[in-house]
Amino acid sequence: MLQGSARPLEYLVPADVAEAAAMKAAGALVLAGGTDVYPTHVGRPIARPIVDIAGLDALKGIEVTHDGYRLGALARWSEVAAANLAPRFDALRAAAREVGAIQVQNAGTIGGNLCTASPAADGVPNLLTLDASVELTSPSSRRVLPLEGFLTGYRSTALGDDELLTAVLIPRGGDDARATFLKLGLRRYLVISVVMVSAVIDFDERGRVREARVAVGACSPVAQRLRALEADLRGKPADSLEEVVAPAHLAELTPIDDVRATADYRRRAAATLVGRALAACGRDR
Amino acid sequence: MSADLTTTLVVNGRTVTRTAGAHLSLLRWLRDVADVLDPKYACGEGVCGACAVLVDGEPVSSCIVLAAQVDGARVTTAAGLTGPGGELSPLQRAFHEHHAAQCGFCTPGMLICATAMLADGMTRTRDEIRHELHGNLCRCTGYQQVVDAIEAAQGAAQGAAQGAAQGIPP
Repeated sequence: MLQGSARPLEYLVPADVAEAAAMKAAGALVLAGGTDVYPTHVGRPIARPIVDIAGLDALKGIEVTHDGYRLGALARWSEVAAANLAPRFDALRAAAREVGAIQVQNAGTIGGNLCTASPAADGVPNLLTLDASVELTSPSSRRVLPLEGFLTGYRSTALGDDELLTAVLIPRGGDDARATFLKLGLRRYLVISVVMVSAVIDFDERGRVREARVAVGACSPVAQRLRALEADLRGKPADSLEEVVAPAHLAELTPIDDVRATADYRRRAAATLVGRALAACGRDR
Repeated sequence: MSADLTTTLVVNGRTVTRTAGAHLSLLRWLRDVADVLDPKYACGEGVCGACAVLVDGEPVSSCIVLAAQVDGARVTTAAGLTGPGGELSPLQRAFHEHHAAQCGFCTPGMLICATAMLADGMTRTRDEIRHELHGNLCRCTGYQQVVDAIEAAQGAAQGAAQGAAQGIPP
């Protein structure tokens, strides 16, 4: 696909992951889908070399493995939305259809969404409720970190200077769990989330919660699992989940006042959306 | 960071090779280097859809894609939907007939995304058309006439749209 003869140092095309990681370690800016890189450089040049990883086949595709699912870091949102995945991925797929517009979903990647580490990244709460891990690869090593450990703060990650995020890993099990994603924005489309909620609920044969995973995004520097709520949901019948939610379950959230909403509004909206998401999972069972 | 890079794209069926800044967006490459002026620069951050083009048949926001990243690709802009003799595609004709453009700035992107939408030959409701066009903002006529035009063109546009989505001029 790349056929230009001139190949200046400002635009680097690595042959493999190790070479890409070495170029990054030497100071190059990693470019995959580009949907975050360009908006952060409007009106000013990109003042360092770009390493274009979009051609690395090892980072592509969505596949079932022995251990679960492997989503290549270059999996684009439109691929995630269209992928033939189990019901527990429904929330992630719903989020994939809410990331920007179709033109953005055709370019933006799941790996980029995680590396940008925005508090409002639509992918994050849904990957937290899937118990996702990330695979990080350097020229000399490979390690796997839980997503919660990878995201360390506001637009901050545990990615080393010489590492690339190469895949998102979802463990096996609970494929029939019900999953719901709710996003609150100031309009229906093309918005940065004010609050978002992801819920993945695995029910037993009697319709009681076997395992619940709930995460809230855009209400703290990094989206958070609500583990106290998850514990209280265990064993509850499908039609009563909304009633379980109490203010204390959201105490760990630290929403802020900004141009989109006040902290108080965010906290109330989060409680409402969590209840709705749980009710939707229960109805869907 | 001004070193140049040679990039070749097949723009509306024509092979174009240019040497330009290695960090140029596809939109800047098309407009400033290759003199293809129908995709418009507006938001510059992938929100408004005015710069949408088809890259190998898929709509993308050309302001947030590097030209170098799509080296070798087939790029279709709104002008490329028109036939060799200047005849309008069914969708373009429907936009004309339904007065779906006022200032016209969003129109090239609207035409590109609507062409991609209709390429599957499915018939959509007005709500579905609105939903799928959510990445294209218009700040003057409103969307009523745009939806009218796309609704009228679906079916009629099918054949031409499929050709365009494959990068084949109608």
